[in-house]
Amino acid sequence: MRALGPGSVSSLLKVALDVVYFILWIVALAVGLATVTGLVLAPFLPSISTGDNNVVVVNGREYADLSRLIPAAAAGLLAVLGYLVGLIAIVGRLRKIFETLTAGDPFRPENVVRLRFIGVVLTGLMLLGYVVPPLMAVLFPEATGEVDIDPSVNLTSWFAVLVIFVLAEVFREGARLRHEAELTI
Amino acid sequence: MAVRVHLDRMLLERRMSLTELSDRVGVTLANLSILKTGKARAIRFSTLDALCRELDCQPGDLLAHEPGPVEGDGEP
Repeated sequence: MRALGPGSVSSLLKVALDVVYFILWIVALAVGLATVTGLVLAPFLPSISTGDNNVVVVNGREYADLSRLIPAAAAGLLAVLGYLVGLIAIVGRLRKIFETLTAGDPFRPENVVRLRFIGVVLTGLMLLGYVVPPLMAVLFPEATGEVDIDPSVNLTSWFAVLVIFVLAEVFREGARLRHEAELTI
Repeated sequence: MAVRVHLDRMLLERRMSLTELSDRVGVTLANLSILKTGKARAIRFSTLDALCRELDCQPGDLLAHEPGPVEGDGEP
């Protein structure tokens, strides 16, 4: 099976990316809606809370006082939303790159910009992964409880990010050669 | 570009249109326009051969070097 052009592996991957992109949008919208709903409803929840011992007593039974968890939940959802937005941006650029692969013409200057963008966003997402869990533990200790913070660095992921930046430069060189070929009569 | 292409002068002297030359040498009109306007970065020997054959001239009649600044494309 061919790697480039219509009906190739690239076009199959493009379809897969389209599906992933669509699903990510749905999940992001759902998370966004949940965040907004939670924030809108938050002021009304304390009215049913006793504010003591983290429990609410209803008809003699004790329930967890969810209103105390709302700021933590909102922050968590916002972090998830940020992560999803990053993923959508990455998959969106990947779709555009695979469009050019399907068209059989990948060495375009736009793909250099897209690959660099993907590298930057991936770096941001990985840094978020290091920053968010400890931050949540510090800001909302009662919501997160004991957070097991892993201080190790995933070298494979960072290697992948570096490969993306190198690939961007490969595409830049490819685009330059393509331009040269276009102007060779 | 320090190398000038005198295709327009050659065509004028032979009262030949760019379209006619395009048909004769088998190079697209767009590519010949790039060559004529001096935007081309390189020319293949096969193209030069075809042009010299159809215009009945030498490569030196078509191309001339004029000293000027080196193009800033990062290459020497």
